Amino acid sequence: MMGGYFRKMAGTTQSPPRVGLTEMLWSWLGSFLGVGAVAYLNYGWVESTDLVLLIGSLGASAVLIYGAIKSPLAQPRNLLGGHIISALIGVTAFKLLAPNLWLASALAVATSILVMHATKTLHPPGGATALIAILGGPKIHHLGYLYAVVPVAAGVVIMLLVALIVNNISASRRYPEFWF
Amino acid sequence: MSEETGKQGSGLPPGLALKDEDIYEAMKQIPGYLDITPGDFKEVYYLAYRRALERLSRSLTAGEIMTREVAYVHPDTPLAEVAAIMGRRGVSGVPVLDGDGKVVGVISEKDFLRHMGATETKNFMTLVAGCLKTKGCVALPIKKQNAAHIMVSPAVTVSPDTPVKEVAAIFTEQNINRVAVADAAGRLLGIVSRGDIVKATSGVRP
Repeated sequence: MMGGYFRKMAGTTQSPPRVGLTEMLWSWLGSFLGVGAVAYLNYGWVESTDLVLLIGSLGASAVLIYGAIKSPLAQPRNLLGGHIISALIGVTAFKLLAPNLWLASALAVATSILVMHATKTLHPPGGATALIAILGGPKIHHLGYLYAVVPVAAGVVIMLLVALIVNNISASRRYPEFWF
Repeated sequence: MSEETGKQGSGLPPGLALKDEDIYEAMKQIPGYLDITPGDFKEVYYLAYRRALERLSRSLTAGEIMTREVAYVHPDTPLAEVAAIMGRRGVSGVPVLDGDGKVVGVISEKDFLRHMGATETKNFMTLVAGCLKTKGCVALPIKKQNAAHIMVSPAVTVSPDTPVKEVAAIFTEQNINRVAVADAAGRLLGIVSRGDIVKATSGVRP
């Protein structure tokens, strides 16, 4: 019985094939332009205000929406829903539990995953978005629920627009698979 | 890996088993990163295939897959003629119809064998053995008889909307190879044979 339990840890199948070079280059170009757009606005303009536009979880989203564009996790419903829902949960956890930050962190991420599952918006970077609401420092904390709008929703929408433009140029690529 | 295939493939014909290489090569043909492992794909494939097979065999009915142009005989047809018809049409069984077209019985090769002395195992080789051991024709006992003498009556019939799955169960339970499809009044509409079921569920359009 225990043998079966440990045997599961050996895995059963193999890693999917490597993508072609053109796919790699399109993924590179998409994420360069997507992250570039958000970062340009952030450092050139938004940073001098009380706001932020560029957060770490957008880098994780770039992997999905430019690098794994067929994945259900990368579709607009998941991208928008996962980030915004997790942002609200992260802010709530901080407001309720600070200064108990370890509990706020764990609860924010775990609850985000649960709610993303329940709403069919699972998007891995959402977990990071929830976490950033807690460990993002005073500037993020000061935003309160505005955090869900700027940087999160605003940054995500810009990234989505770039994905729609760039991912549909190549004949062998299309995005999205579905909207909602 | 082969152990995995065996587990997930249970219930499917061996020819339908996918190898991991098949999936891997197919995934390579699709440009872009597929967010799924070959193992996951195989599991989806097996479950989907089983479901589709169940749906297809459930929705098909006897009326949809039956052979309509059927050779038949009457109760008073001499057995010599019955045998000739079966031989000419290349079938191993015929329904027996009365004057109104109602199915009153069925005659199969087995019934001939049974009345020709092949009592033990009812197969052709028993008859050959009997033939080789004696001088006379083994068909002599039934030479003067007609269809009514050897037919199995009443015949096993189903209605046109009987699901194919149920027909298959009747074949297995009663150890027979064909059933007559009859309307509510008992009149013959067609025959479903084991072959018809194989054809209908193999996915190959005739």
